[in-house]
Amino acid sequence: MVTLKQFNEDQVIYRTEGKVIYRDGDTILKVFDESFTKSDILNEALNQARVEETGLKVPRILEVLKIEDHWAIRSDFIPGKTLETLMKESPEKEDAYLERFVDIQIEIFSHEAALLNVLKEKMRRRIDQSSFDATTRYELQTRLAALPTHKKICHGDFNPSNIIITPEDEAYVIDWSHVTQGNASADAALTYMLFHLAGRPDLAQKYLKLFCLKTDTARQYVQRWMPIVAASQSTKNKPEEREFLHRWVDVADYQ
Amino acid sequence: MSEKKYPVVDRLEALKKRLKAVREAQAIYAEYSQEEVDKIFLAAATAANQARLPLAKLAVEETGMGVVEDKVIKNNYAAEYIYNAYRNTKTCGVISEDKSAGYKVLAEPLGVVAAVIPTTNPTSTAIFKILISLKTRNGVFISPHPRARKCTIEATKIVLEAAVAAGAPENIVGWIDIPSLDMTHYLMSESDVILATGGPGMVKAAYSSGKPAIGVGPGNTPAIIDDSADILLAVNSIIHSKTFDNGMICASEQSVIVPESIYDEVKAEFKRRGCYFLDPEETDKVRETMIINGSLNARIVGQSAYKIAEMAGVEVPASTKILLGEVEIADDSEAFAHEKLSPVLAMYKAKDFSHALDIASQLIADGGMGHTSSVYLNERREKEKLNAFTERMKTCRILVNTPSSHGGIGDLYNFKMTPSMTLGCGSWGGNSVAENVGVKHLLNIKTVAERRENMLWFRAPEKTYIKPGCLPFALDELGTVNKRERAFVVTDEFLYKNGYTKQIEEKLTELGIRYQVFSEVAPDPTLACARKGAEQMKHFEPDVIIALGGGSPMDAAKIMWVLYEHPEVDFMDMAMRFMDIRKRVYTFPKMGEKAYFIAIPTTSGTGSEVTPFAVITDEKTGVKYPLTDYELMPDMAVVDSDLMMNAPPSLTAASGIDAVSHALEAYASVMATDFTDGLAIKALQTIFEYLPQAYDSAVSKKPAPEAREKMANAATMAGMAFANAFLGVMHSTAHKLGAFHHIPHGIANALMMTEVLRFNAKEAPTKMGTFPQYDHPKTLARYAEIARALGEEGADDEELLEKLIAKINRLKERIGIKPAIKDYVPDEEAFMSTLDEMTEQAFDDQCTGANPRYPLMSEIKQLYLNAYYGEHKEV
Repeated sequence: MVTLKQFNEDQVIYRTEGKVIYRDGDTILKVFDESFTKSDILNEALNQARVEETGLKVPRILEVLKIEDHWAIRSDFIPGKTLETLMKESPEKEDAYLERFVDIQIEIFSHEAALLNVLKEKMRRRIDQSSFDATTRYELQTRLAALPTHKKICHGDFNPSNIIITPEDEAYVIDWSHVTQGNASADAALTYMLFHLAGRPDLAQKYLKLFCLKTDTARQYVQRWMPIVAASQSTKNKPEEREFLHRWVDVADYQ
Repeated sequence: MSEKKYPVVDRLEALKKRLKAVREAQAIYAEYSQEEVDKIFLAAATAANQARLPLAKLAVEETGMGVVEDKVIKNNYAAEYIYNAYRNTKTCGVISEDKSAGYKVLAEPLGVVAAVIPTTNPTSTAIFKILISLKTRNGVFISPHPRARKCTIEATKIVLEAAVAAGAPENIVGWIDIPSLDMTHYLMSESDVILATGGPGMVKAAYSSGKPAIGVGPGNTPAIIDDSADILLAVNSIIHSKTFDNGMICASEQSVIVPESIYDEVKAEFKRRGCYFLDPEETDKVRETMIINGSLNARIVGQSAYKIAEMAGVEVPASTKILLGEVEIADDSEAFAHEKLSPVLAMYKAKDFSHALDIASQLIADGGMGHTSSVYLNERREKEKLNAFTERMKTCRILVNTPSSHGGIGDLYNFKMTPSMTLGCGSWGGNSVAENVGVKHLLNIKTVAERRENMLWFRAPEKTYIKPGCLPFALDELGTVNKRERAFVVTDEFLYKNGYTKQIEEKLTELGIRYQVFSEVAPDPTLACARKGAEQMKHFEPDVIIALGGGSPMDAAKIMWVLYEHPEVDFMDMAMRFMDIRKRVYTFPKMGEKAYFIAIPTTSGTGSEVTPFAVITDEKTGVKYPLTDYELMPDMAVVDSDLMMNAPPSLTAASGIDAVSHALEAYASVMATDFTDGLAIKALQTIFEYLPQAYDSAVSKKPAPEAREKMANAATMAGMAFANAFLGVMHSTAHKLGAFHHIPHGIANALMMTEVLRFNAKEAPTKMGTFPQYDHPKTLARYAEIARALGEEGADDEELLEKLIAKINRLKERIGIKPAIKDYVPDEEAFMSTLDEMTEQAFDDQCTGANPRYPLMSEIKQLYLNAYYGEHKEV
């Protein structure tokens, strides 16, 4: 029987609202609190398992278990440093890391997993849940409905902190709790926004340029998703992001 | 304002119920007369017009966009101009009729129109869409934009109530009170047609709904001011248009492109009229305010220049009309290159007009495909520039010296252009409509087409000389009437050596006409031969061509005539197969501009002297080009039987039976007329009576002038018959039989003759020929008529057909023609090896088209087999 008492503070790798991640030998344990429903956790494990089965380099799901009252997911521990850390440690290599970052995302887009949640559906729900007025939501839904429905794997939180580079220089992508299938440009728009929210508009610009260049995508094509991903992000209700996201959302269709 | 209460449509269930009511009302309205509809149309337009000011105020109050005074104009326009444009338009029942052509067009409603209304013109577009729906007896269901729902619904109610008061069914118009995308999608998928105005998202939704959609796309109108333009007019028109309703009309100018030479002058005029030029720093600020991630900031839409400047942190006078940003990049990385839906304008400096065109094309490609473009220039002096602009712009509206907001919607600055609040952008904009949308797009058109007979004509040479010895008299004309100076005589070696041309040469000499004789025409004349003759004509420059001989010299001379008059022609084109000579793809060159054409037959058979046909063989490929056009008809035919007195027996028989085939096929043709019938029957009667005598005379070499003369006339009459009624499968099969197995043309026809008669006479053929006059399989009766005319009697048509066939067989035997192909082609294997190819080519022969029975290839094959063995099997 695993108990939480087994783990000491040294083993905590990461702690966030409702979740604690412990190191346990060659594995990690992601332990959830009561704010998560059973289906949330099972779903996360299932999604990650689906991604794992595509052959992408991701931590393997080892078990889903209950530790006392807490649901937990055990997966491989990936040794190494996140791309975010590496970028901070070696700012001179930032461009090279960014290029690798984009390559990894493109590699993910080259895979499909037919049973994953559908990105457009998720966005539709998020817009409905958002606190924007009816007119804005109507505009957003109209815009979303006209955007393409693709089937590429979209990570859903693709940022440098979710990529671990091992000592052997292999890249693993972690945290698949937001994964969906959909249009790559939507995921790119999201990453672009995450750079902005992380206070790095310069990296955001470089990223977008690189993404568009490498995938031969028109910038406007990615931009069309920006009000949508901003509206989706707004449902996280982070006060510090509010003004920024509102500005991104409040746009009109050309007539 | 409307006081009446209506059931609220705020969820799907309510929408379904209301939509059902509208559908029921429309079913009743569909039965209204034009008079009733016009009364309703007038009442609805009048009510909308009267409410123009309160509706404008309501729209500005609710949306916070635009200018009340300008919205009044839009409402007024949508009511008055739309009414005026269609007040007398027929939209109910029969809208046009041509009794003599048997052609009638009826208009019927489509059903229920789903009308999506944008925020930018929330009342005027509603008025417009309801009015054109009412005029066309459609029901209409309005889907307002949530930002403008109150004013859109108010406008809808006002128009509906006026329509109902004038007699329209109560629920003819419906609307969604609390719009949601789900309800809009449902409405679209349940309507009969969608009139979607708005952004690309809504238009896309409309096109994806599975229902016919008339959607329009975004505009990004560039305006070029050329150095020939009236600058005062240009700048002030643009200001007038761009400030109209704070720039919210989709056709409004977004960029001004000005050549260097007048740039400063244009800029000064803008400034003088209260426009503000942003400095580089201010330009950056406005850029950031205006466009967010490539999209338009919703807060600037329909705002004043002053307000937008304030939002951007730029200080400008409160009365500023337009903010101008002087920019260089025309692709959409430049914020000013986008559609701005506000009084903000980009200004580009162009090196010259051609550079200006490049900039304008780029702006359209990136944001306004198919919508509107505008140019200011001196339209009288600069036609080439205007043409270049028209050619380059991929827009459905090209406006010249016209404010584009007003110009695009039509009838304000050009009175031919359809007034409309919905502007189609064609396939460039992903639309099904490329023009201003109007009532015609909301009608189902029924075309009632009654059966009519095809027009036919009768054509022959302007003169046909007959009677023995007529030749010199006919040629006299060349000196007296026609005044010709140079004659070119085409004939074959035999005729030349035997002195047949002498009489002609003497006459020409007597008339003082210089002449040249070409006597190298061989049977089955070749292109090389025709080219050689034409080359000599080129040097000799004749003004009259005289063809003397049988079919070959006459055909060769016709081709030389073509090559002489039109050396540029391509035989492949001229030989292209056609269904109706009056509708053929190829336009035959005009003949007779250089030379007059006289045909003098020396045999009684081909009829070439009076037909529009000529056959020529390309000696290199072996391909036969059968050319047909009335341009090839000789101007004069001289049928002088003195020239035919010495025709040998085989020629007399082959050409005589050829004439029989012409008359038989012309009579059975789907294009036979009373004119050709008379000629064909008379020709047949004559031939059956005189051909045996003529043949005997050829054998015995005792002259038979009467028989020869009668045969000459009969052959020419048969020629006139088939020159106008055309031929059939007998000739299709004979052409290929002759070509593949070297059988004289007349004999080949004789060998196929009775098989084709039986084939065509079938009362229940696999397929019959297509021609309005040929209303049922009736060829058996036609052959019976021939039999009777030839003096046969019978109990019924079948018996008469058998008697006709027997009579033909007797004639063939009498003049020495053998009964079956195998008598001419004893090598059975050789025949069979060509059978499939012959069959296919015969099927595709020009003559097949006029045959009363449309043959299958398998049937033609069987015809050949039957004719080969001389044993009839059912086909």
